[in-house]
Amino acid sequence: MNPEVHVPGWEWYYVAMYFFVGGVSAGAYFIGSLAELFGGERYRSLSRTAYYVAFPLILLTPPLLILDLGRPVRFWHLLLDANSGLPYLNVQSPLSVGSWALLLFGAMSFLSFLDNLVSEGRLKGAPWAHLYSGWPRKVYAAVGSVAGFFVAGYTGVVLNVTARPLWVATDPLVGALFIASAASTGAAAIALADAWRRGVPEVPRAAVDRFDRIVKGLELVLAIAVVAVAGKYAAPLLSGVYALAYWGGAVALGIVLPLAWAWGAAPVRAAAGTRLIPVLVLVGGALLRIALVQAGQVQ
Amino acid sequence: MPKGLFVDTSICTGCKACQVACKEWNGLPYEPSHFRLDPVEKRPVAVNFTGNSYDNTKALSATDWRHVRFIERFDESRTLTRWYFSSDSCKHCGDAGCLNACPTGAIVRTDLGNVVVRQDVCIGCKYCIPSCPFGVIALSETTGTVHKCTLCDDRIHNGLGTACAKACPTGSIRFGEVAGLKEHANGRLARVKSLGYAEANIYGYAEAGGLNVFYLFLERPSVYGQPEKAEVPQRRLPVASAVAVAGALAVGAAALVSFRERTARNPEGGGGEETR
Repeated sequence: MNPEVHVPGWEWYYVAMYFFVGGVSAGAYFIGSLAELFGGERYRSLSRTAYYVAFPLILLTPPLLILDLGRPVRFWHLLLDANSGLPYLNVQSPLSVGSWALLLFGAMSFLSFLDNLVSEGRLKGAPWAHLYSGWPRKVYAAVGSVAGFFVAGYTGVVLNVTARPLWVATDPLVGALFIASAASTGAAAIALADAWRRGVPEVPRAAVDRFDRIVKGLELVLAIAVVAVAGKYAAPLLSGVYALAYWGGAVALGIVLPLAWAWGAAPVRAAAGTRLIPVLVLVGGALLRIALVQAGQVQ
Repeated sequence: MPKGLFVDTSICTGCKACQVACKEWNGLPYEPSHFRLDPVEKRPVAVNFTGNSYDNTKALSATDWRHVRFIERFDESRTLTRWYFSSDSCKHCGDAGCLNACPTGAIVRTDLGNVVVRQDVCIGCKYCIPSCPFGVIALSETTGTVHKCTLCDDRIHNGLGTACAKACPTGSIRFGEVAGLKEHANGRLARVKSLGYAEANIYGYAEAGGLNVFYLFLERPSVYGQPEKAEVPQRRLPVASAVAVAGALAVGAAALVSFRERTARNPEGGGGEETR
């Protein structure tokens, strides 16, 4: 591996934050949609919260992406060919495919959001009223969850498919790690939103908690495996500020502590826990992206 | 017919005429001054030196499309044994990582095989920068776009060679059709080997789909700051994508077992069966 490979100079507050916010939105969406698709009406309340969380969050991401560009006003070149104006796709570039996936996910999360508003009676006078809360909702959910998995995971593939030593050394695990983290942080965002929403019908917590434990277990295994496979190239993640962010933040606060809480104190669900733990999970998810994106750019 | 450069490092003298010619032809800005006036001492002081032999620009950048490396090789007793010079630039790879990574089609290959950034299309997403296995392409803060050697696209499409090859006083940088250059390179390799350089090698026949700008090195490529194995990042895309899909399927399976099983015990859904 060639340490002389240049660093892109992606700013953590744009690119790593986009990876994080996009992951939370996508994770919340696919949890809500999969619960409704697999579990039916019983999870309607869960998927409502999920869609209310997913769409506003994904709206935050284009500005983050665009502001990191050297020429922000040309952002549309990502989707349309600059000369012909026709749609442009480069299947070898995860950034190109990811841009389209983000657009598709944004569209699906908007439609699900709209469906929520109409079916809850918050938005009146919508056209084609009989189509809401019916089969189209399931189509959005199915297409949107596939697009959501893509949005959550392609950011890891973006890192792995480069020539920077740490990102090459962690190949091919970061995509899967980011998907597991998206699931974990998405569940945390839903839990946090539920804690604030009043008068929400009780969600079958046990199932959500079980899903949460499985994906956190997967995330923990992948977080350790990423560093193990990187060997000596993992040095920036083993000492200094990114080691603190990765092990102290992402792993300890974001995965291990919530898992310990879930197993140890599950019956005694103190009010503090329902809000504090999701916040820790979200902070851990952000630090995971920051650590992997920035440690790969240490020269 | 692809055109390219053969860089014979064995006859490079490190004069940097190629660096200067590149800057002049391509209108690239000058380097920051190596001296500045010390406000206290009221005399010029040296700043901005690399301290690495006669190297003055450290690496390729958005304004340095050519970089002469100075490699000092010492033996055990710290007596200088060899001093190598190697004029480095974009290699115009046959399978170009930067071009593959570009999400806008800003990086293109011309009919002569050279890889060029279309400055009016580049959005400055910077993804090509870590995707180049050689550390060539770089962002300019001034234009907000990426820049690199174009193989003098304007010159070679008008029947001229590159500015660097034109300026080279020893014939170390040779411009021409890649096939012809390879013939010449093989002859040079046989010659230096016969002179006793057993480790001499041609760098660029196999790397990254074959490099249109390739080198004769007297020692291992790593001695000259080039990766021993220059792999194109996108060749790892299928496996990386497959593992990400596996991760998605695992999370999907977790959702299936979590949400579906609960439904079976759901008194509204499968409650009737449970009481039986």
